[in-house]
Amino acid sequence: MEEYVGELWHKLVTRAADRQHLEATVRLEDISKTAAIFFRALGGDAGLSLSAAPSTRHGARRRWMDRLATSGERVELSWRDGETLRLPERISLFDQRALNRDLYLWLVALSAATVDNSLPWILRNQSATQITLERFPGLTPRYYQLVEAFLPLRPNPADLPPAEAAQEMAIRKALQYPGKVATLPPSKIPFHPVPLWMHPTPPVSLPSLVNSNDGAPERDQTDNPNTAKSRRKHAADRTDMPDGKDGFLMMFRAESLFSWTEYIKVNRPQDEEDDLESAAQAAEDMDSMTVARDSETSAAKLRFDLDLPPAGEDDAPLGDGISLPEWDYKKQFLQPDYCRLQEVVSQQSAPCELPSQLRQTAKRLRSQFQALAPTRTWLKGQQEGEEIDLDAWVRQKADLLSGQHSDHRGMYRAQINQQRDLACLLLADLSLSTDAYASNHARVIDVIRDSLFLFSEALSATGDSFAMYGFSSLKRGNVRFNYLKSFSEQYDSHVRGRIQAIKPGYYTRMGAAIRHATTLLSAQPQRQRLLLILTDGKPNDLDRYEGRYGIEDTRMALHEARQLGLRPFCVTIDSEANEYLPHLFGAGGFAVIRKPEDLPKELPLLYAQMTR
Amino acid sequence: MKNLPFYQAHGSEIELFERAWRNHLPLLIKGPTGCGKTRFVAYMAAKLNLPLYTVACHDDLTAADLVGRHLIVDGQTVWSDGPLTRAVREGGICYLDEVVEARKDTTVVLHPLADDRRILPIDRTGEQLAAPPNFMLVVSYNPGYQNFLKGMKPSTRQRFISLAFDFPPAHEEELILTGETGIDAMTAKRLVSIANAFRALRDHDLEEVASTRLLIYAATLIKDGCEPTLACRVSLVETLTDDQETAVALREVIDATFGK
Repeated sequence: MEEYVGELWHKLVTRAADRQHLEATVRLEDISKTAAIFFRALGGDAGLSLSAAPSTRHGARRRWMDRLATSGERVELSWRDGETLRLPERISLFDQRALNRDLYLWLVALSAATVDNSLPWILRNQSATQITLERFPGLTPRYYQLVEAFLPLRPNPADLPPAEAAQEMAIRKALQYPGKVATLPPSKIPFHPVPLWMHPTPPVSLPSLVNSNDGAPERDQTDNPNTAKSRRKHAADRTDMPDGKDGFLMMFRAESLFSWTEYIKVNRPQDEEDDLESAAQAAEDMDSMTVARDSETSAAKLRFDLDLPPAGEDDAPLGDGISLPEWDYKKQFLQPDYCRLQEVVSQQSAPCELPSQLRQTAKRLRSQFQALAPTRTWLKGQQEGEEIDLDAWVRQKADLLSGQHSDHRGMYRAQINQQRDLACLLLADLSLSTDAYASNHARVIDVIRDSLFLFSEALSATGDSFAMYGFSSLKRGNVRFNYLKSFSEQYDSHVRGRIQAIKPGYYTRMGAAIRHATTLLSAQPQRQRLLLILTDGKPNDLDRYEGRYGIEDTRMALHEARQLGLRPFCVTIDSEANEYLPHLFGAGGFAVIRKPEDLPKELPLLYAQMTR
Repeated sequence: MKNLPFYQAHGSEIELFERAWRNHLPLLIKGPTGCGKTRFVAYMAAKLNLPLYTVACHDDLTAADLVGRHLIVDGQTVWSDGPLTRAVREGGICYLDEVVEARKDTTVVLHPLADDRRILPIDRTGEQLAAPPNFMLVVSYNPGYQNFLKGMKPSTRQRFISLAFDFPPAHEEELILTGETGIDAMTAKRLVSIANAFRALRDHDLEEVASTRLLIYAATLIKDGCEPTLACRVSLVETLTDDQETAVALREVIDATFGK
């Protein structure tokens, strides 16, 4: 009963205090693609990803009702750092949807402006506003519309103590007349947040003191820029996966352990305050926490220890390892001999035939792909052509002379010439994530295996030269490059045996694998060389090869491949690939397969389309 | 002298073209679509007072289409010159637009014409034509094209001197817009700013970017009284993308420049 009344009370006061306009809410996910393109078009860094910002305690004075309802004390601030542009998850500040949407676009435009980061927060935002309005004058009416709608929502300076009132007046003036306010007057209590401006970067993690100079709201939790929402989602996905056949320690929910590490890092005094809030609120906060910088190594170690895969023993090394460079985007420097790549071949493989469930499809694909095989034929009786079709001409003449009816058939010969001068290297991601289930009865690795089979069947029908390799990695010293089929080898039962033996490995150090594949492929004499990459997720590895570092290294490796005249193309089953693949492969350089179980059939068709 | 078409130079390309023409060197012009390659050649042909034979190359273009073929006329076979042969016989500029689009074997007929021999052997008639001094071969291609199966053979490429074209710097592009269509400088500035915003999306969100030609279309519509955001929408946004969300974002850029 007590609980019931409490809940009622909570609902009542929360509703009374809630000044947000839920009916006019615009959610980030609704406009994220538009916002991202808008950001890049306005000159924003194409490497940044867009994500929702966790809410932050702003510490400003709240209305009496707000305090009663413990609402209104958190705000989702916008900011950007080296990897991510963060925007509020939803905006319901104004009562009109159009205004809320405009606010999103305004924040995006503002964040695309380059300003001197050493300036104090208030100057920086004014300067960014000026730059943006100057570059995109069409935004001016919309900006002033936003300001006009926003000012009545701010506390009235007349109701505030003098110091806060002065601060409030300065902010109002800076919003109305950007560039006219030089400093922010100091005040003990932080001012009401300004959702029209960007938060200083990166968010400050000191929990207590109010810095009256900068005056921006403080973050109350340690936050690592990597805590993108998408990554949280990914973690959840992986927790969902059912225990695999080889349910060894690595199948252990590493994430749950990871989250304990996070938990230990929680700031205790803050935690107690959280007790006042609803459980859902607490859960949301938990989600947004990550390991603090200093404990990253231990977290990495932890994962490393758990992730020892059993497959490692089954592979025999082929030749000596190969040293490969790696791109550090922060230093803009290609670190020489940074990775060690080892070609390996499975010892467990035995020659085998095509699995029976694939035979039907393989037969069909073979007959389809034979049509792609090079032919050089003369077509007779054409209306146009290089040569005269003498037979047709003589026949027509004879028909005319003998008084027979002559239909006007073409009297030229044309040559149909389909030359295929093509080599393709297929590089398959064999990282641990392929152990996850793609559908009710198949793991990602099974889907990849079937794809490799059908791909080989199809390509051997065309006569195109092709090779297949798999890759996975465990830190920079151990990049494994699984030998499946080389260019010179025929597709036969031994190749099928090696395909049959593929197993999920470790992580995805894509850059090194692409560099080695580039070396192999560029040695081929064909004029068109296609580097086909089959993957299920982002580049990642333990030693800082995640987030932007991994993406940028992969991008550089792809750039090198293009410079050598190769054409990289990516086929992925990662449904979130649209967030990062355009940056790596360009708009037309990748394909996302929505249903992973369709991959085996789609892959050869994609190949046919690309090379027709 | 004929009326010169409008052309805004952005480097020493006019001078280089004239040097190449004087010294009988064939010329290759490469650059993205709509950046002024064809206009440049037309301008130079008018400036040098030469006839211009333009061939737009396509997938099915064969050597016979360039050189010529036998036709059947009244029971007789009659040889009919192709545009390349005609240009060699009569002198002038032969311009092969988008030359990589043509079949691979096609470009080989250019080889004896494009080096110091300057001859065009016609094996079907047994003729061997020597190019007159005022004959010049110009080819162009778009290196950014998606069709990666096509490219130029090195043996063909290395017979040409090459000019790389790109979209001009903002102020020159503004001059092109005002010069070509007569719109005011302010509108030209805004159009170019939109184009450059879209060009930042190359290889990421857009496969092809806004060309100067498209900007001229937009400027023409505006000059004709069309509302600027609508003109940009039909000439830029809908031309560049079929994706709904991308189109919304591009429209936002236009609104941000011209106002809602």
